[in-house]
Amino acid sequence: MSDRRVFVLGGGISKMAAERVDGNIRDWVTEAVMEAVADAGVEIADIDHATTSYFSDHFDKQLKMGAIFHDCIGMCPKPNVRVEGGGGTGGLAIRNAYAYIKAGLCDSMIIYGTENMGRHVPSDVAQQFIALASDTDWEVQVAGFYIAYYALMMLSHMEKYGTKEEQFALASVKNHRNAIYNEYAQSPMRITVDDVMNSPLITSPYKLLDNCLLSDGASCLIFATEEWAKTHSTSWYRKPRIEFVGTGCGSDYMRLADRPLPYPGITHFRAKKNASKQAYKMAGIKNPAKELDCFEVHDAYSGVELVSCEDLRLCGYGQSGPLYEEGYFDLGGELPINTSGGLIGMGHPVGATGINQGIEVLTQLREEAHPQRQVPLNNGQGGMDSHGGTGTFVAVNIFRRVD
Amino acid sequence: MAKGVSVFKDPEKTLYPKLPDVPDLKEGDRGLVRTKLHTFTADDPVGPKLHWDPIHRADQDPWKDFREIMRIEWKMEITYRHCLGKYSKFFIELENKKFYATECPKCGFVWAIPRPVCPDCLEITTWKELPGTGTLESYSISEFVPAFMKVELPYVLAMVKLDGADSLFTHQLRNWGTDRSKIKTGMPIKVAYTKEPVNHPLLSMWFEPA
Ligand SMILES: [Zn+2]
Repeated sequence: MSDRRVFVLGGGISKMAAERVDGNIRDWVTEAVMEAVADAGVEIADIDHATTSYFSDHFDKQLKMGAIFHDCIGMCPKPNVRVEGGGGTGGLAIRNAYAYIKAGLCDSMIIYGTENMGRHVPSDVAQQFIALASDTDWEVQVAGFYIAYYALMMLSHMEKYGTKEEQFALASVKNHRNAIYNEYAQSPMRITVDDVMNSPLITSPYKLLDNCLLSDGASCLIFATEEWAKTHSTSWYRKPRIEFVGTGCGSDYMRLADRPLPYPGITHFRAKKNASKQAYKMAGIKNPAKELDCFEVHDAYSGVELVSCEDLRLCGYGQSGPLYEEGYFDLGGELPINTSGGLIGMGHPVGATGINQGIEVLTQLREEAHPQRQVPLNNGQGGMDSHGGTGTFVAVNIFRRVD
Repeated sequence: MAKGVSVFKDPEKTLYPKLPDVPDLKEGDRGLVRTKLHTFTADDPVGPKLHWDPIHRADQDPWKDFREIMRIEWKMEITYRHCLGKYSKFFIELENKKFYATECPKCGFVWAIPRPVCPDCLEITTWKELPGTGTLESYSISEFVPAFMKVELPYVLAMVKLDGADSLFTHQLRNWGTDRSKIKTGMPIKVAYTKEPVNHPLLSMWFEPA
């Protein structure tokens, strides 16, 4: 590989909400880009390349939407590629930016991610679109949809390790609480484990408050080489420097039913184990639980966060439940997870989600987060994990502060 | 199980930004655009209360000239002519009340959800009839399902290890009675077949307690 180093120069978020009636998807992307450009202290005219990150053409009844975003922000006639990997789309877009810059295809890359999941379609139709991201020949036909697949996984985790519903409810409590200190978050809430347990049952063992959100919103990150940043970014000399030091990617059988037993079986995320192994190796991380200061985990459902922590080696197999009780992953705990609020508190506009995660890590490593959610920096390293399907596609990315 | 939704009514706990509640225009009030639903003024969704860092957004709304919003209605209907391809024999045989899986001639793995090609070996597989019995590996009981799926609630999505297969099969568990505590992983399961016409061939079968 080339010895080029890749840095994150800035990020921008357009408010996450259940329904952004004040504008449409192109407006949100433009807002996020305007913030990112200001944050990075760059001119859009100087940026070499773009990556478009969105998941579904259905939600906005617009195919090849990347071309519209690209021309909304004055990037024509420069190159643009689209990345798509379900819920992992944003994480993969970040990986794409790294790969393109590292390979020398460009010196700077802007990536913008978004999804229009609000009430442009009734929520039942939105559920249908999301269900279509599982196997339509074999799963959707038998009334399979994502929360039910994750419920099957969680039940097997409970049976295997004795994990309790109250333990994964703690992830929901934590993420809604962390969101209170994030002005862009969709669902800041002060709730208790009892509130989660008493919210309506959706699919056992998952209740309403265990779920992530259907969101409208957009976000944007800007990456570049050191040489490019020195001549084009005013924030290079003003802000802490954040380097992109590790990326990994993994996959698994689309259908849970096909995954090999005993590992991962229907209990674990093999793709996540594989992706994180690559990313840690690349970043020179031997003990992720000790060497990372914060981690954004793909908490599509509260239990998913617990299982993810195990496969990301942030704790041992079967240990996540007791650690959530201890507050190990809370703000102020050993390894704060989803300081942004995660998908449950911040929101889950699919194509933007992974980019939101990257922005949160950037914000934390620069120590620019709200004081109530800022983590103390010991190693100056943070990670993010983004997945599509039931952990079918996974991207894990690691950032490091290097000043 | 579900006691109530008090958490959504407690303003201390819920800080969702308020969404404007704009009623649809009556047909006579739509002006020259027949599909016009609303025209209204939208607020800044960030809202002054959630601001902690005024650097990001000034108090003054920079978008104030762009807050007049119109929404329209746009209907689309799509019907697919969907091919079931090399999996078709599985679906055809369900009408004969037979459950077929595929076996890899190289590694011997039996794929319960059939595959014309074994993904581990890239070998073309052969069809193998299974007895249609097995054990429950995992399940979830749903109180909610997207309406397009048209199943009665509550329904059970089951993952079953069929006898003679090496991978699992996902389908609904039906006729389990009314006592959900009777559903247990490890319980014996059998494949049942429909007598009534169905809309998708996969619905010609389901699982039942054996
Ligand atoms: Zn084989």
